[in-house]
Amino acid sequence: MTSARDWRGLLFVAPFLLLYSVILIFPLLRGVWLSFNQVDLFGDGHFVGLGNYARLLNDPIFGTSLINTFEVTLMIVPALTIIALGLAMALNRGSRNAAIFRGIFFSSAVLSVTIVTLIWRFVLAPDAGLLGELWKAFGWQPLPFLSDENLVLPALAITTIWWSVGFPMLLFLAGLQQIPGDMYEAAALDNASRWTTFSRITLPSLRRTVVLVVMLQTAAQLQLFGQSQLLTAGGPSGASRTAVLFLFETAFGRWELGYASAAAELLFLIILAVTITQYWATGRATAAQGGR
Amino acid sequence: MTKRALAALLALLALGSCAKSDHKTHLYLQRFFGECGAEYGGTTDVAKAEGECGIITTLVNRFNADNPDIRIDVNVVAWPGYPQLTAQVAARDPPDLVTMHEGVISDYASKGLVEPVDDYLRTAGISPTDFTDAARQGVTMYGHVYGLPWDTHGGLFHVNTALFAKAGLMRGGKPVLPDTWDELFAQARQFEQRTGEPYLIQSNVGDPAFAARNLYTYMMAKGAVLFPDRKHIRLNTPVGVQVAKYFRRINAEKLGTQNMDTPAAIAAFVSGRGGIYPTGTWMIGSFETEAETPGRPLYKSYAVFPYPRLWGEHVEYVSGHSWVVPARERTPQQREAIARFFKFMAAHNFDWTRTGHLPAFKAVLGEPRFKALPHRADIAPLATIGRPLPSYVLRQNAIEGIVGEEAAAAFTGQKTVPQALESAERRVNILLAQID
Amino acid sequence: MAADFRRGRLTPLGWAALVIGAALMLAPLTWAVLLSLKDNAALVGHSEAALHGPYTLDNYVAIFGNSLTTRWLLNSTIVALGQTAGVLILASLAGYGFARLDFPFRRTLFVIVLIGLAVPSQAVILPQHELFAWLHLHNSYPGLILPGLIAPFGVFFMTTYMRGIPRELDEAAMLDGASRWTTFWKVILPLTVPAQSTLAVFTFLGAWNDYWWPLISATRSDMYTLTVGLAAAQMNYAQTSGLGYLMAQAVFASIPIFIVYIIFQKQIVRAMAGTAV
Repeated sequence: MTSARDWRGLLFVAPFLLLYSVILIFPLLRGVWLSFNQVDLFGDGHFVGLGNYARLLNDPIFGTSLINTFEVTLMIVPALTIIALGLAMALNRGSRNAAIFRGIFFSSAVLSVTIVTLIWRFVLAPDAGLLGELWKAFGWQPLPFLSDENLVLPALAITTIWWSVGFPMLLFLAGLQQIPGDMYEAAALDNASRWTTFSRITLPSLRRTVVLVVMLQTAAQLQLFGQSQLLTAGGPSGASRTAVLFLFETAFGRWELGYASAAAELLFLIILAVTITQYWATGRATAAQGGR
Repeated sequence: MTKRALAALLALLALGSCAKSDHKTHLYLQRFFGECGAEYGGTTDVAKAEGECGIITTLVNRFNADNPDIRIDVNVVAWPGYPQLTAQVAARDPPDLVTMHEGVISDYASKGLVEPVDDYLRTAGISPTDFTDAARQGVTMYGHVYGLPWDTHGGLFHVNTALFAKAGLMRGGKPVLPDTWDELFAQARQFEQRTGEPYLIQSNVGDPAFAARNLYTYMMAKGAVLFPDRKHIRLNTPVGVQVAKYFRRINAEKLGTQNMDTPAAIAAFVSGRGGIYPTGTWMIGSFETEAETPGRPLYKSYAVFPYPRLWGEHVEYVSGHSWVVPARERTPQQREAIARFFKFMAAHNFDWTRTGHLPAFKAVLGEPRFKALPHRADIAPLATIGRPLPSYVLRQNAIEGIVGEEAAAAFTGQKTVPQALESAERRVNILLAQID
Repeated sequence: MAADFRRGRLTPLGWAALVIGAALMLAPLTWAVLLSLKDNAALVGHSEAALHGPYTLDNYVAIFGNSLTTRWLLNSTIVALGQTAGVLILASLAGYGFARLDFPFRRTLFVIVLIGLAVPSQAVILPQHELFAWLHLHNSYPGLILPGLIAPFGVFFMTTYMRGIPRELDEAAMLDGASRWTTFWKVILPLTVPAQSTLAVFTFLGAWNDYWWPLISATRSDMYTLTVGLAAAQMNYAQTSGLGYLMAQAVFASIPIFIVYIIFQKQIVRAMAGTAV
């Protein structure tokens, strides 16, 4: 009965899909069209075919911004996933203390990016920063987190991990709650070590959550923008310019709408490809294990 | 349920766009400089206001009070406000009057997005010959005047005279500034040895304007033509390389502070942790306050001058704020109101100079009350030696971003000088080539 | 929560790590609160002055000295509540459709929704702005609310949650002669309350903190949201001469959503547990 193909099902998804098409798909397609034109914010422009894309591939600034984006994503996603998982396992208990800690670790997630970067500017800056003061108290030279080419991406990564650890932690908590208690009881009866319990029970049961967290975070961090724009303005010398900051500068600073659109489409395709690859790879791995 | 939600939505829509009907001519003014209604909301006493925000707020209040038939509605935007303005222009709903940096006007003027203001000036009885040279050059392009210039701002050497005295660099109560590059390095080393503090405070982090200003100024001084035409920049020349090498040397010999962004550099200067902070006119007010407060490191120890001439001619790269009129349909009453606003603002240009910015009108430079303001006699030459970039150059903001980023990389040693200048040239020329 | 016995007790080392982690989380926040309680002039060049008194509430008083602050607070509340309500309605309907009903192109359409997760918002913001200008929706509440209703994650979240609800429940209802709509409205929807509250908190949070869309859509100060208004109110070089005020603004803007989180905290974890993620 429920399997009968029925167009009325469309009625439930239509309101969302309608808005989705108008507000997201249409602008996205419009962006694709713009990416084939050399057009500024107010001009009519002219068709250049793949010209913008060819220019992008030869633009070292765009190349660097892509590499920066990948680097910072690689710094953030694994660390964030492991920290969030660790926190969830430690805080997956009913005590009042655990609730307070959960609140603390989620607290930063309520802040907006403008506030996060404002606060971290006064943590990271070698002068007047919290870390700077701390370093000086130990008699060390403060580290120039925001002006050293090799420190600036880690600095953005730390800021981002601090900001976004709360949500994955909640996802893992939810996943942990679904693991049947008797599996652990059985393990306890077998005198299994903590590590065995973790690797044989907890981790396999959380597989889907891990995949979800990694995919969502990868898609989110490949779009990292505010931290880079507000904390370092992409500097020093472009060392923290991310792909989205590049396209923002190109559109609003240089008025090159067509070129910015081409960068946006490329980034969109990259994110899509990475996400699909992750999904496909984990799907195969799960299938190979005959898993859930 | 959906019906009720829809009704609520429509009611909210109506709330957001309620029309005004008070028989006044409404002008819609958009500016940055912050919001300080708490302190100055109802005040029309311009003379008692302090700071950019206080002075502009009371000026507009005063205009509204003096002109009962006109009502200026103010919209404060986050600095610099161009993403919003661009969005408004694209939506065909721009304001009537907007604060705009002079280097940005050409972007909008070249597309006909802002109106020439020649007629408004004529109605207001203002002649472009009343403007200072720097101001007139800044707002004139394509044979028209495109804005009411409101100030000239540029780089200044803000000096800590207490440290200069300690370094033995005071003559007749005035700090000794260098006349040549060699003197600069000699004095800087002497300063460093005697005070233990860096000679220059620099904001090379996240502040492309700082590095770009230094490079532009000392290339211009040696007669370099930065923009031979509207499609090209020239930086990788013997003069450009030499300027960059001098600033590289300052950093290599640790004669200037490292790793500072603007807030850090300002903090360092007011805490007395360096001799000279080359930054803009806009900081004079804050530093004066420090200099007048007993117990502060800068107390009675502050002086300020234009960038010194180190070679060639004594010129300096400057910019300015102006009031522009975005193109849109307006009633004759609104046009008349804009002219009256221009006339009022021109008459009150002195009040704005209390912020530290230099006047846009020659007459103010000669006024005794201007000369009586602290340090103004010292910095007044900036209005004469100031040079904006040629107004045929578009995207000056974006160009400054690129040049500043590359120049800072050269100054701090992240790139070699020729590498950085070559890269800056290539990036700017590609940008300029894309403009129709 | 009967979870305690599932894992061994935390070792002292584990507790130590937690406490250090919590300290790392709280230090920047505490720093911000302390800075917000200091006189601005005292902080110029000396942010370490925030570590000791005297403290004052002047900066918070000053926030309310701006006559528009309450208006911005109201705007933010309307926009955040509007987006939250809209997302809940749209995502529940779509979630039910994708989870329970079979219709032509169901899988394709679901994949198209998921693709939305990969679209950087900066990539569509200008065409969106153009569209809303054409619809004359800028500087209006619908203009501020509508783009936030496009929440692929919300649809995905509700779909997976509803898939986790036993099918026997709707089948029983349908056998009793209930229509699709009645089954959705009377049987399924009440079971999704925990998921609704989770999605509500995240949507509210995102809407409250959004900066770029309101920045270019709401260009008249009486239509600003709190994030845009507070940014506009800053004077140049506020990071130096108005640091305490700036931090007070930051703390002030964060308080409402922190309260929302505290209220819903229990619901959220419970809801997440129900999701088949």
